[in-house]
Amino acid sequence: MAVAAFLTDATLCIGCKACEVACKEWNEVPEDGLVLSGFSYDNTKALGASTWRHVMFLEQPEVAGPQMADTKDPFRWVFLSDVCKHCANAGCLESCPTGAIVRTEVASVFVQPDVCNGCGYCVVSCPFGVIDKRPEDGRAFKCTFCYDRQKAGLIPACAKACPTQSIRFGDLEELHQRGKSRVQELRDRGYDDARIYDPQETSVGGIHAFFVILGEPEAYNLPPAPVVPTVHLKSAWSSALISAAVIVVLICVAFAFQTGGTL
Amino acid sequence: MAENHPVGFQWVMEAKERGAKVIHVDPRFSRTSAVANIWVPFRAGSDILFLGGLIHYVLENELFFRDYVVPYTNASVIIPDDFKDTEDLEGVFSGWDANKKTYDETTWLYEGVEPVKAASTGQGASEGSHGGHAEHGLHAMPDLCKYQRDLTLQHPRCVFQLLRKHFARYTPEMVEQYCGVRKSVFLNAAKTFCTASGPDKTGAICYALGWTQHSNGVQMIRCAAILQLLLGNMGRPGGGILALRGHASIQGSTDVPTLYDILPGYLSMPKFGEESKTLDAYIEKYGSRTGWWYNTDKYIVSLLKAYYGESAQPENDFGFHWLPRVTGDHSHQAYWLDMLDGKMDGLFVMGQNPAVAGPNSGMERRGLAKLKWLVVREMVETETASFWYESPEVKRGELRTEEIPTEVFLLPAAGHAEKDGTFTNTQRLLQWREKAVEPPGDCRSENWFAYHLGVLLKEKARRDPQPRHAALLALKWDYSIEGEHREPVAEEVLREINGYKVADGELVPGFTALKADGSTACGCWIYSGVFPKKGENRANQRAAKGFYGHGWGFAWPSDRRILYNRASARPDGRPWSERKKLVWWDFESKKWTGLDVPDFTLTKAPDYEPPAGAVGDDGLAGDKPFLLHCDGFGWIWVPVGLTDGPLPTHYEPLESPIRNPIYPKQQTNPMALAKARPGNEYAASPDAHFPFVMMTYRLTEHHTAGGMSRTLSHLAELQPEMFCEISPDLAKKLSVTPGEWVTIVTARGAIEAHALVTSRIKMLTIDGKPVHQVGVAFHWGYSGLVKGDIANDLIAISEEPNVRIMETKGLLCNLIRGKRAENLDAIGQLREGQGQR
Amino acid sequence: MKRFEPFARAKTMKPATQLKATEERLEEIRRSASDVAQRTAPLQPMGGPQNPKQESYYGLPALKAPVWTWEVPLYFFLGGIAGMSACTGFIAQLFHGGSALIRFCLWTGLVGAALCPLLLIADLGRPMRFLNMLRVFKLRSAMSMGAWILVAFSNCVLLAVVCFELQLRGFANPLLVGLLWLAEAAAAVTGLLLAGYTGVLIGATAVPVWSENRTLLPAHFLTSGFGGAAGILELAGFLIPATQILGFAASGIETLIEVMLQVRKRPVDTPLHHGGSGRALLLAGLLEGPAALLLRAFLGSGSKGRCAAAGVFLIGSLLSRYAWIWAGRASARDPGAQLQKKA
Repeated sequence: MAVAAFLTDATLCIGCKACEVACKEWNEVPEDGLVLSGFSYDNTKALGASTWRHVMFLEQPEVAGPQMADTKDPFRWVFLSDVCKHCANAGCLESCPTGAIVRTEVASVFVQPDVCNGCGYCVVSCPFGVIDKRPEDGRAFKCTFCYDRQKAGLIPACAKACPTQSIRFGDLEELHQRGKSRVQELRDRGYDDARIYDPQETSVGGIHAFFVILGEPEAYNLPPAPVVPTVHLKSAWSSALISAAVIVVLICVAFAFQTGGTL
Repeated sequence: MAENHPVGFQWVMEAKERGAKVIHVDPRFSRTSAVANIWVPFRAGSDILFLGGLIHYVLENELFFRDYVVPYTNASVIIPDDFKDTEDLEGVFSGWDANKKTYDETTWLYEGVEPVKAASTGQGASEGSHGGHAEHGLHAMPDLCKYQRDLTLQHPRCVFQLLRKHFARYTPEMVEQYCGVRKSVFLNAAKTFCTASGPDKTGAICYALGWTQHSNGVQMIRCAAILQLLLGNMGRPGGGILALRGHASIQGSTDVPTLYDILPGYLSMPKFGEESKTLDAYIEKYGSRTGWWYNTDKYIVSLLKAYYGESAQPENDFGFHWLPRVTGDHSHQAYWLDMLDGKMDGLFVMGQNPAVAGPNSGMERRGLAKLKWLVVREMVETETASFWYESPEVKRGELRTEEIPTEVFLLPAAGHAEKDGTFTNTQRLLQWREKAVEPPGDCRSENWFAYHLGVLLKEKARRDPQPRHAALLALKWDYSIEGEHREPVAEEVLREINGYKVADGELVPGFTALKADGSTACGCWIYSGVFPKKGENRANQRAAKGFYGHGWGFAWPSDRRILYNRASARPDGRPWSERKKLVWWDFESKKWTGLDVPDFTLTKAPDYEPPAGAVGDDGLAGDKPFLLHCDGFGWIWVPVGLTDGPLPTHYEPLESPIRNPIYPKQQTNPMALAKARPGNEYAASPDAHFPFVMMTYRLTEHHTAGGMSRTLSHLAELQPEMFCEISPDLAKKLSVTPGEWVTIVTARGAIEAHALVTSRIKMLTIDGKPVHQVGVAFHWGYSGLVKGDIANDLIAISEEPNVRIMETKGLLCNLIRGKRAENLDAIGQLREGQGQR
Repeated sequence: MKRFEPFARAKTMKPATQLKATEERLEEIRRSASDVAQRTAPLQPMGGPQNPKQESYYGLPALKAPVWTWEVPLYFFLGGIAGMSACTGFIAQLFHGGSALIRFCLWTGLVGAALCPLLLIADLGRPMRFLNMLRVFKLRSAMSMGAWILVAFSNCVLLAVVCFELQLRGFANPLLVGLLWLAEAAAAVTGLLLAGYTGVLIGATAVPVWSENRTLLPAHFLTSGFGGAAGILELAGFLIPATQILGFAASGIETLIEVMLQVRKRPVDTPLHHGGSGRALLLAGLLEGPAALLLRAFLGSGSKGRCAAAGVFLIGSLLSRYAWIWAGRASARDPGAQLQKKA
């Protein structure tokens, strides 16, 4: 296929975490903390160097789920499996100084573990807070889109394991269509706040792992308007160059005032 | 179901996507509730009140499927005059003997049916030695076909009217007041489910330990059965009751049983007494004149031939006398109490972890310390294997390692990918697994262990031929061995389970080929057909065809995917509707046909009437789908086989925050065994020291007692620490901050856990008063990567009267802030003044 | 008697060599998990019910905090001084020819150029792979640019020093002189870039407090750099009018920057005003700005006063780099900063 994509649908997710486990098993990812978080059933808390699929558990007391339709207690428990967004314009890829992070032939974003030297710049360049450095290893890690499985004609481990097909893997365009009709269907069924999360209008240019969510993206720690940080380069460099010019002038002035031969 | 059967739950999600409504009835809002259409929170233990409320609703609103109920159930059957309902006797049925604490079930039989003579009911019935997992318990089957019916369902003593009377007071108001279910929520759920009935619509009920682990669990399930029979949902696609059997192959572990009172295929283990003096007496007791159990003789004889091979001959009753006899209650709870009393020498523990999973697990661990020897076969060192140095009792100094006499053997077991064999899942589907890798080191499979142990024991028996060793000597134990580990060939075992002709070893095509003359052998008659021909291991087939997946695995019996599917057709043989057709009578070829293997004799016409004196299956008419009942009916009324009543009745759990609102004079199930003794005490009902209702439950991330999940980092990190769940109201009342340590105390024990404060647990209003519930997650123990206190230290050893399972939900507890060690005084005070039962 | 090895490597049915790496990896994972399990005391969990306004996911960070350790802000500081020293030296040479000051500037540049790579390499997760920084030349990556700038600067300033020293020892070859001027000019240019690019480096990231101050940061780092270079010169004894002017200019600009920061209180700038990072930044700004300015204004006639001003400026300059990294960490950990940004 041309562009590999994930469509992850919160309305089909049952919060089983098979995706988290399958990913760790296949990719030999180590444990990421053995401490209770207290945040509902989510002890993983966020994506990171050693968590490439993260199931969120949103307990929302102010939003009425369908189960509570005729009660006075609005409540909803929404699950969503978060993953690296494999952005069309990826902050981590742009920022990587070693060229370790590359775009593959299926348009995914891949960190070559034999090149990465752990400089950490990708970590602060991801507007979704996905990639991180693994302290005991030194390198940066994130979802590989199961590049090795794809090359062997298989689908990613998380999509394979997901029992309800909340995680769907396929071609980007097909999944775009599916996502659109899914949201329409959900709206028709009464899920008024169903929406696609795929920020195409910002400089990120759309993400290849996009989501069907209920409610606002912020509730999922998904930024409503993520940007790829390279858009900041122009103004920053301009400021640097202008400041440099001004300072050069200043130094010239200072030494011009300096009278008397050699110093 | 989403919590504990996420893979199976995909089909519920699929159904929901196609418009099915999902109703989740559970005290806690779990991952199932999150995707359900309706969530009904209710008080743990009040299930029969709730289900009875649904039955009442169906009856009052005439929602029952009359065209199904009249022909296919015993709703029309008339019950004798001397039967008295709980409504008449303030909480017990007729036949109750308050001294012996047992029922004489004679008055529960149909009118016109003679009870079986006392001689064959067997002596040696010690306390609690009734009920059982076998098809009709440990009772002889009278000839139920002598019933009388009123097809209009009007007769005041027909089952239908008695049912109506029995549940007359289970109103929506009662459900609101004592289950804590708001009336609007109840009526919404009732309407949604109870209108899923009739030719075009069905509804299914799925349940698990929320119903089984109660002192009246069997009757809860019975309520569901009544409901489904009234709605005409049994034997129909999208209908029925799905018992969500636990993990791995627990369905297999009752089919080819590890239970003390049954033999493979739900044959009864013989009880000590008259009935077990001869094979004929046994067959007379457990067979039935009509219905499929007429074939009991074929199955027991074939089983004995499988066990004893050449040693089993007609002359010696096929070795029937070598089978052990049940002399009393040998269930887990009972023998563990014997263990505590020093009456047991040793124990094999395989695939179970009683130190964590047993009821009153603290007491069970003390029981282990009374053994002379203990063999644990496991993949990891479970809590049961390490109790002697790691248990809380040892850590607290209550037991001292040096003083524990038990010699513990920990033998390494192979994992599921390291051995051949089948799993039987909750759908009765046998699926063969091929070994993928050799087990590491000394790890071996259960087959290997049992086989080689058997070889050693047979050798011992040969050298010491006492009478009691005769059974071992007679045991047919000649499996082929393969590989460097000398593993018995698992397929051979499966072939034996399937059955074969003794003369030439030819495999039988199914259980209808089994004979009672010793010419066939069969390890488990309900599995017969899984290996019908040489080389055809149907459990290993993976080519699914058709709507029900035939060609993938083998569903017992005979690959019927939906049991009793005769009921999916009208009495005249046509499907109820095009939409819900499953099997039907082909008028041309004069055979049953359809989308599933018909659970019916293929050539029996719908209008077949049995001639006088017809026996077995021939004794059932063509419109009787429920073949294993000798009357062919679905039993709304259970005339024989259950110890605690022909109809389910609301009783409170063994500990309850309220008195029984239906029958104040009969608080709990009169037949339930509390087994109260020091160490296994009970709170009063209600009890000021233990005001909160407690339930234990599981999480998706962990597996039973945690031996296979808390030892793996990928699973352990998903739920790393022991926690309990409480409502924000309770947290506020006790000033508990989210996540902080709390101590949960019951009359049996006290443990510490983190408090997860969540709106998913609700405070209920019961009889106008607030009742708080505490949910306790059950998975943690003192071994593994992540450790925590053991939930089952809190629950009591008790026995439901039919199947002897313990009660783990609906018990009473208290909650104190802080860790256990900080609260020792408070714990002592709470447990001091507790009520005894 | 054979010991029971619960985690013994499985004998496989496939050739063992194929799965050797996988099995070793599994062993590694099991061991590290076991270590963690033993080390981790049950901590007080910090969780609680969901933020009722659904503004974020339980208030958990929506970004990853910078992973850089103490080497990086120190590198910013030293690199700024080194680069601006080289630049200052070159400009001085332009106006006044070779001298002790120029020599000092070049050597300062060289020392910095020697230390900076060591600091950066030490901060790398895989230090032995530092050469991978030179695999690509990526204009879109400020860190790639920075790596090349540092390499270029180091080489240029080394060449400049070598040429200067040779010239000082009498090798007055015109080629050498030409090379010296070229090297110095290149070092000056790359030095300017070295001092300023670090502002771009952190400004062009996803960290809100950095990206929202991306025009301020290069200006501030450059100012901090040239002020630091001048301060080093003063502390080394070069108490000349030029360094006085530069000292005044730097601390004056820093004062203006500080005032502007204090006046402009956008929500994203919270880490600059509150918490540990806010206090550190305030202190740094006061030291670099008003404190240095006032010291120089009122005590700057004497050498001690000037040195004090220079010293105070340098301390503030170093502290400022740390404070900005600290602020970046705080900003990354605040989900509101990221989630409430509009396009």
